[in-house]
Amino acid sequence: MKKDYTVVGKNIRKLDAIEKAMGAATFTTDIKLPGMLYGKVLRSPYPHARIVKIDTSKAEALPGVKAVATYLNTPRVKFNTSATSTFTIPPLQPVEDQYVFDSVVRYVGDEVAAVAATSKKVAEEALELIEVEYELLPTVFDPLAAMKEEAPSLHHCEAGKNVPGEKIHIEMGDIELGFAEADYVFEHTFKLPVQKQAQMETQAAVAQVSVDGKVTVWSTTQTPHPSRRILATIFGLPYSKVRVLNPPYIGGGFGVRIGLSAKAEPIALALAMLAKQPVKVVYDRKEDFIASDTRHSGYVTVKTGVKKDGTFTARKIMGILNSGAYCSWSAETPGVLGAMGLSIYYCPNQMYDGHSVYTNTTPAGAMRGFGNPQGMFAVDSQVDIIAEELGMDPMEIRRKNIMRPGLPWVLPYPCQSSGLEECMDLGAKAIVWDQRGKQNQDSDTIRRGIGMAIGTHVSNAWPFCGDYSNAYVTVQQDGSIQVASGVPDMGTGTITTLSQMAAEVMGIAFGQVGITFADTESTPFEIGSHASRTCYASGTAVVAAAQDARKQVFEYAANMLEVTPGELDIENGIIYSTLTQEKNISLGQVAMEAHLRGQQFIGVGRIIPQNAPPYLAHFAEVEVDTETGKVRVTKMVAAHDVGKAIHPLIVEGQLEGGLAMGIGYALSEEIKYDDRGRQLNNGFHKYMLPTAMDIPELEAIIVEAEDPTGPFGAKGVGETGLVATAAAIANAVYDAIGIRFFEIPLTEERVYRALKERK
Amino acid sequence: MLKDYILATSIEEALVCLKTYAGQARIIAGGTDAMLDLSAKKITTSCLLDITKVKELKKIESMDGQIVIGAAVTHSEVKNSDLIRTKAPLLAEASGSVGSLQIRNTATVVGNVVNAQPAADAAVALMALGAVVEITEDAGTSYVPIEEMYLGVGKSKVDSTKQMATSIRFPALLPGQGSAFVRLAQRGALALPMLNVAVVLSLCEDKVEWVRIVMAPVAPKPLRALEAEKYLQGAVINDELIAKAAKIAVSEATPRDSALRGSAEYRKEMLEVLVRRALQQALTTAR
Amino acid sequence: MQKKILKFKLNGELMELLVSPSDTLVDVVRDKLGLTGTKKGCGKGECGACTVIMNGQSVNSCIVPAMQAMDAEVETIEGIGTSDKMHPLQETFIDYGAIQCGFCTPGMIMSAKALLDGNLSPSRLQIKETIAGNICRCTGYVKIEQAVLAAADKLKASKDK
Ligand SMILES: Cc1cc2nc3c(=O)[nH]c(=O)nc-3n(C[C@@H](O)[C@@H](O)[C@H](O)COP(=O)(O)OP(=O)(O)OC[C@H]3O[C@@H](n4cnc5c(N)ncnc54)[C@H](O)[C@@H]3O)c2cc1C
Ligand code: FES
Ligand code: FES
Repeated sequence: MKKDYTVVGKNIRKLDAIEKAMGAATFTTDIKLPGMLYGKVLRSPYPHARIVKIDTSKAEALPGVKAVATYLNTPRVKFNTSATSTFTIPPLQPVEDQYVFDSVVRYVGDEVAAVAATSKKVAEEALELIEVEYELLPTVFDPLAAMKEEAPSLHHCEAGKNVPGEKIHIEMGDIELGFAEADYVFEHTFKLPVQKQAQMETQAAVAQVSVDGKVTVWSTTQTPHPSRRILATIFGLPYSKVRVLNPPYIGGGFGVRIGLSAKAEPIALALAMLAKQPVKVVYDRKEDFIASDTRHSGYVTVKTGVKKDGTFTARKIMGILNSGAYCSWSAETPGVLGAMGLSIYYCPNQMYDGHSVYTNTTPAGAMRGFGNPQGMFAVDSQVDIIAEELGMDPMEIRRKNIMRPGLPWVLPYPCQSSGLEECMDLGAKAIVWDQRGKQNQDSDTIRRGIGMAIGTHVSNAWPFCGDYSNAYVTVQQDGSIQVASGVPDMGTGTITTLSQMAAEVMGIAFGQVGITFADTESTPFEIGSHASRTCYASGTAVVAAAQDARKQVFEYAANMLEVTPGELDIENGIIYSTLTQEKNISLGQVAMEAHLRGQQFIGVGRIIPQNAPPYLAHFAEVEVDTETGKVRVTKMVAAHDVGKAIHPLIVEGQLEGGLAMGIGYALSEEIKYDDRGRQLNNGFHKYMLPTAMDIPELEAIIVEAEDPTGPFGAKGVGETGLVATAAAIANAVYDAIGIRFFEIPLTEERVYRALKERK
Repeated sequence: MLKDYILATSIEEALVCLKTYAGQARIIAGGTDAMLDLSAKKITTSCLLDITKVKELKKIESMDGQIVIGAAVTHSEVKNSDLIRTKAPLLAEASGSVGSLQIRNTATVVGNVVNAQPAADAAVALMALGAVVEITEDAGTSYVPIEEMYLGVGKSKVDSTKQMATSIRFPALLPGQGSAFVRLAQRGALALPMLNVAVVLSLCEDKVEWVRIVMAPVAPKPLRALEAEKYLQGAVINDELIAKAAKIAVSEATPRDSALRGSAEYRKEMLEVLVRRALQQALTTAR
Repeated sequence: MQKKILKFKLNGELMELLVSPSDTLVDVVRDKLGLTGTKKGCGKGECGACTVIMNGQSVNSCIVPAMQAMDAEVETIEGIGTSDKMHPLQETFIDYGAIQCGFCTPGMIMSAKALLDGNLSPSRLQIKETIAGNICRCTGYVKIEQAVLAAADKLKASKDK
């Protein structure tokens, strides 16, 4: 591919931005269909109970109520709300552990019944008329407790008490030998909180069943094709009779709807089938909190063997994550935690053991970073501890041990590019690393500190999970092109980026590209938007499709120009011979000529992506009020190796958004439960995600170590912004006050207590 | 079940309406508490009586050294009022810390008092200012010191189905008087206080003529630190005295464990820091 | 339940319609009048997605009683610009990358507009305070703040002309 790009790398106006700026963009929550009913869900007030009796007659009798759904009149087909069933490759088996409704409820918020009525108010009223008799069952809330013999079993499990799916084991080298070779061995355990995606649009779906039984579901899913599969399976329909699409926009995702939007889709569809009218289900904010996936909380232990000079000889990581009441992504998340936690540093002897554990809490699933921020908080906090013990600068110990292209690692694909060291150097410069440790007087109440941490991630899910993409690029008769890809654009700029790539390959102006997306009916199968894969994997498919179309065009044009296809190139929509410039013709002329002779150029891209490591170095500057324990981040620098920034402004946006979420993870975001399994922080006023007042200066630095496997060299970006943020901030807090934290968030009270204990 | 919504145009009209509905109507101002309480079914009423269009209630006035804030005045109006900023800066600070701009643009200062939450920001500042609430009902008008407005958590002396708090008034700060409002919260906006403290302090020469210290939420209502106030009264104030007074103030408080906003123990220890900081700040502004 | 007549100006146009006493302003704007640009993220005054301008001030339309809009001038995202003549905030939000998922955008722009309508030289802190009640989970706020500053400059420049 040529180097001087005309579209790629440019900050073109995002395709979705005008509609969104004007308030004209449609989201699922905006949809209103003729005859549409409103669905509301009755949720369990108990963390674990059997439904002994459920009487819906009074609710059904309420005027305006058109359907009431319970486990008695909905399909008894087990599924997993996440897309795991689409991705899991034998011999591994996906965990399918829930029904649309069940006779047992396993967490506070679990679905008991749902009503469809002519208005939200009537539906809500009807919920109060449903009479349910519960028999309370024993409960367990902590994953360590849930593994014990005496704990109640939430589901049938093969791998161990309350362990969903498999236990993950990863190994390289000889771990015992590695520890034996070490001069020092460090072991620490870290505790991670429940974080919430808190995307701005709550889970929502509108389901419509046509008179001939064809199903259409508009929803907030990040993965229309896998979601279609889940719905088709539950309701026993051919995939081809189910259409799942975004309408076309989604108010954020961050992993919370990789698969279904919690249960919005199947509930809406079940009600629509019963009522024979379209049904809209929109979770309110509290439902979104209590009854839709969170990030996994849990425990991570890191044991590292190190030589006197700082060289790592062995690293063992153990992760135990809280799955909550259902599996969702709990079989996969511990794997990514381990794989990423091990592969950021080169270390010849490594091992990971990890798994999730069911408890009677809100299910945990995918959230930006997918286990990696949990693991990296532990790993990179410990690396700072080791550096301190050895009297090394945190930058130096990392420089000595970071993974470099060509070295072996635990991942089943090679590391072919890394801009990590450049990220570290640029970041250190921007934060003025040399000031570290020199900013405080003994008498200061407000103490300042600087810290850093590093990380990597994936660029898609292969080969951990099935992952492939398809795309079409169709040349229209006027030479403009239509791209079709099944991925959504949940705000990450997907449709713009994919269109840029198509325009670049086709040699036409960006404005000549139209795109169809996030619709199972008009696009070929495509996994969807997750695993930082969209630009990398879906992009590869679009590039392949465009190349295919371009090849067809060149073959046709070569005939018309009486030259060979190999000598043709295209710029600005003009196809020309690189040998004789006079021989040229516009793409529109070629397309029209072909059309008149009964042909359209249809490029098909069918790819299985490879994988590539993005890299990042985060630097935090903090202030700690030692009288109150309050930590304020005053500056964050994030230097990221993104391979190639197809659209730098979009990339920066991803990084800044990730950083903000990472700052929240580090300092204030946490869902706690009371002793009856109820979430305490179940809304925006109680869940302390950052407001504009809490975000400091953020500096995103883009480094481009192009990867040979990525489209135009690009690597994954979407999740990377918060991989190392918490560790960097905790390390900065250590620099400020000399106290090491093994648990986040670093709330004022936690920090204050530690300060007091030290006194 | 809510059946009617009435927009009052005058105080008289509102009072007539309350009388006609005989306990079935309820006053609503900004609605930032009332609308949520209604949808959570914490309160029920047949009729909402909106007082935000009543012109006479929208004033911030200065009368004979007293500042009067009408019942329809919002936190934003208070925060931006030059009169308040110069004569009661701690109230501007307190109102400015409520929720978010959108909330402050509709929520009223009087509503903040009537809603009777133990840590309502403006109410805490108003108590330090020695504010008095004007309550109007069919039978006439009465004046109740803000400290007597609380019957319990969320329970006000004003019965919003029969009476109207028409305004709140307090003496404007004079030269030689200083004030402070400090707050500890989990984030920079949209966060109820873990603790808030308001101080008004009057110096005579170098001595403390009087001081009011109000702390919350450390009791079912904003709490005066009477012992600490007494301790400082008449004293020539310095850092040591302030530190001691802060300790005394803490001994008067009984904060509770909050799973959301800090343990009792933490709040107690922070209270000392906040009272100290507030006193220091008030002293600085008094000088 | 008694229906009430509500009269108000929405984006400059006089509206007269029947509402329930319990309706909120967002119900009227989104459901009754079909202007779905205004979003609902929490329904409790805690996120700002539903921000509209009422009589010059930003308010959370999800907790404003509909009747309180009586005789008021209400502006929503649909009323501040057209596709051939966008409001400078709409332009700068687009050009500065301040829009990701776009769900917070209408509320965010309305909050910012209320500020700029009265102040063309806001400080960064004033901007932060203005949008502190608008949660954005996508952007990290930085590009939004830059967009508001840039829009202020644009407006100032066009005013100075
Ligand atoms: C998201 C959010 C964040 C918030 N953050 C804070 C915060 O940080 N700090 C804080 O202190 N508060 C906070 N609040 C609450 C604050 O908005 C209210 O206490 C507000 O000041 C109440 O005023 P209002 O006009 O909205 O009262 P309304 O909701 O209209 O009324 C409150 C109560 O008082 C009664 N009432 C009101 N006015 C009168 C009157 N004149 N006479 C008789 N009865 C009357 C009503 O019947 C009702 O019971 C927050 C609220 C929300 C929704
Ligand atoms: S929807 Fe109104 S503030 Fe969240
Ligand atoms: S752009 Fe998605 S919430 Fe702001």
